[in-house]
Amino acid sequence: MNQRSRFKLRTGRKAAGGWMCLGFCLLATGGLHAQQISQGETAGATPSNTPPATPALTPATTNSDEGTAAFKNMSLEELMNQSVTSVSKAPEPLADAPAAIEVITNDQIIRSGATSLPEALRLADNLQVAQGDSHDWNITARGFNTGLADKLLVLIDGRTVYTPLYSGVEWDEQNPMLADIDRIEVISGPGGTLWGANAVNGVINIISKSAEDTQGWYMEGMAGSQPRDEGALRYGGTLAPNVYFRVYGQYFDRNNEVFADNGAPAHDDWSEGRGGFRIDTAGSSDDKFTVQGDYYNGAAGDPTLPGTDPDSGGNILGRWSHTFSPDSNTSLQVYYDRTNLTQQEPGIGLERAGVLGDDLDTVDMSFQHNLQVGDWNHFVWGLGYRFTHDVASNAPAAQLLPATLDQNLFNVFVQDEIKLTDDLSFTLGSKLEHNDYTGFEAEPSGRLQWNFVPKQMLWAAVSRAVRTPSRLDENLYEPTGFPKPIASLLDGSTSFQSEVLIAYELGYRAQLADKVSASISTYYNDYSKIRSTTPGPERDIDLPIVFQNNLEGQTYGVEMSSDYQMLDWWRWHAGYDYIQEHIHVAPGETDYTHGLNETADPSNQVFLRSSMDLIQNIQFDAEGRYIDEFTINNGPTAATVPDYFELNLRLAWHATKNLVLSVAGQNLLHDYHVEYGYPNATQEAIQRSVYGKITWQF
Amino acid sequence: MAILGRGRLIPLSLQPVPFLLLALFVCLFEPEAARAQSGGAREYQIKAAFLFNFVQFVKWPGAAFTSSDAPFNIGILGDDPFGSALDDTIQGEVINGHRLTITRSQSAGELEGCQMVFVCRSAESDTGAILAQLGSRPVLTVGDTKNFARDGGDIDFYLLDGKIRFEINAQAARRQGLNISSQLLALGKIVSP
Repeated sequence: MNQRSRFKLRTGRKAAGGWMCLGFCLLATGGLHAQQISQGETAGATPSNTPPATPALTPATTNSDEGTAAFKNMSLEELMNQSVTSVSKAPEPLADAPAAIEVITNDQIIRSGATSLPEALRLADNLQVAQGDSHDWNITARGFNTGLADKLLVLIDGRTVYTPLYSGVEWDEQNPMLADIDRIEVISGPGGTLWGANAVNGVINIISKSAEDTQGWYMEGMAGSQPRDEGALRYGGTLAPNVYFRVYGQYFDRNNEVFADNGAPAHDDWSEGRGGFRIDTAGSSDDKFTVQGDYYNGAAGDPTLPGTDPDSGGNILGRWSHTFSPDSNTSLQVYYDRTNLTQQEPGIGLERAGVLGDDLDTVDMSFQHNLQVGDWNHFVWGLGYRFTHDVASNAPAAQLLPATLDQNLFNVFVQDEIKLTDDLSFTLGSKLEHNDYTGFEAEPSGRLQWNFVPKQMLWAAVSRAVRTPSRLDENLYEPTGFPKPIASLLDGSTSFQSEVLIAYELGYRAQLADKVSASISTYYNDYSKIRSTTPGPERDIDLPIVFQNNLEGQTYGVEMSSDYQMLDWWRWHAGYDYIQEHIHVAPGETDYTHGLNETADPSNQVFLRSSMDLIQNIQFDAEGRYIDEFTINNGPTAATVPDYFELNLRLAWHATKNLVLSVAGQNLLHDYHVEYGYPNATQEAIQRSVYGKITWQF
Repeated sequence: MAILGRGRLIPLSLQPVPFLLLALFVCLFEPEAARAQSGGAREYQIKAAFLFNFVQFVKWPGAAFTSSDAPFNIGILGDDPFGSALDDTIQGEVINGHRLTITRSQSAGELEGCQMVFVCRSAESDTGAILAQLGSRPVLTVGDTKNFARDGGDIDFYLLDGKIRFEINAQAARRQGLNISSQLLALGKIVSP
């Protein structure tokens, strides 16, 4: 089976030779790409013009002297993120959030030379990113990074982008124009209390710039070996006083990658066109409105099948934020999203090959209220509702039954930050959700923050998070065309339950000197009811294999990150990520892959970046990474994906204040290297690439 | 390949709507007390921190100081909006051997000896005269409204999406012998007259 698949639903066959190995293949399916139904994180997703992560995580300072002192100790970048009319009335430096947070700025994205969102996410030390082919990436935090990675919640401007099909993200559908991204907030660790089910191992908030911030013309063009070519155009203007808009269009054509065993080109080049708009009101009014929308249409080649898989989608979102007083504000958000996916599926047994399609409509509403009560309590509470209408067009050998499924998801949450003393605060909250598969789910958490000396903080947290079932877990059916008991290969199960995590975290963050900052986060995660692939009732035959919840176990790890402004013009960044996993089959239960199917995670990741501002308006950036080997088990037996070093470089010349010329190279150390995949004839490798880019704005 | 069966309308059974509206309604009845007053104070606490940063990210020529341990004097020209925020921010601070001090005045002439002058909104109508007085000296002029830098000042503040941004007139600063660090230039918006 092919673990790369467009929407990773690919089930099985295909792996080498006959079909007795089908069973294995299944597993193989890239760790059975499976996932789940949209849940409601939105309630916690605050409007893009306020950092979603911080309002609820940071304590409120009320004393103005403290405010002055806190601002004084912030960097310029942090000052620029302070809202002059913050709800909590208090400075909310990121450095004060009691959680494992990293923020990727627009400047870092541009300087990294990233040409796609997944490449930009490599800037977060607390993520694992593995590219499987030209258009498939596995991305997660704190492990479980198979092709079906399903424990990370991703939001773009408050809109959830993981698919309820398997609870994962189709990264090749998520191509916001990088120049318009304001920042990306990456939180590793559970965020269920605010964001809901699926925020199990982490949350990524992608926040785009306000229309007010993108006025005038912007054009960019790229050409090279990857992307082959790319062009984007944006114009921003005003509709009325204090009402700003932008419209944009973008097209890219990306090259194929190669097969790992012989370097031969794979048939997986892809292209996409996209366009959209955003309108923001500004000014001193107590009411702020945002309306935005996008539409895209693309197609990607399948590495091992002759055709291409088209997909398309669009969304429209509105948000109204109202400030009642410095102590109270609300936001109401509504969006509609449509996503159409297609995936070629090979045949199984007597069943022919075909195409599996999935059309998903989502309507989502959420309301949130921030409220300061007295000097000591800062409340955030909210409500959310989501409706999804999912229609599968089934392939002969890969089906979702029922083909059409409507689901409702409700949630309510409340969280209170209690300031115990000037230096110590405690945050307690929970979300309660109701989904159609498993009913009510609670996701409580408690956090303690202690600023034991100025500019240094210790924090600790205990949280419960759940991954609710996906359509794949519940509805998958892979007929073989043979009679029972081998009529199907891999089946979902309506008795599939939510996977559960209890997480214990401890962290330290410090501004050690004016020029050095550091952060260390540690965690111990206790998982239960993790998905297993359990042989069916006909034990002597093993088929069909059925999804159940027979895995459990622990993971623990450390995430470190540090910045050093060595000289005015030379900055360093170092990051390290360590994880150990002990996931096993629950006593008395069975699993087809001995508990190895859900994980594919390097124990060690090391990142080092250098950013230089040279004379003559020249920037030079270098970025090295080391990714450890890991075990992968989506094949007949467990195998290893080797470790690798890679290097990215970028040289940019700001020729005038309007014109930037740059050249960048990615993965420069090898002709091609492997990041993911079972080592068989379909495993792909990622090639060295170089491109030139021109950016013009006025 | 084409997928059949598109274009269905979404059955919107939006039961939670009344609930949401109710919640919103309840909020509307909150007292409007205490609104707005903190916005201004907070804004100038942040701006005070920006000014403190500017002192560290701009290099003044030696001639800007009478001696190597002479104070670094920040002038506030016009009606001071900071309250005590700027005093609190720079209190006890010494940068490169220069103790930070503040001088308040309604006249640009009295601030010629300062290294940085913050031009308050009340004084901005006289921008031309102020710059005639200070623009040829090594005095970093910082305005409180957009266009101050375009009009020949060095830096101005403006609000974007409720957050503070700043514009830099790098040419003007260079003419005055002020060396603005690349870090500051990277974060501000570069404008020219």
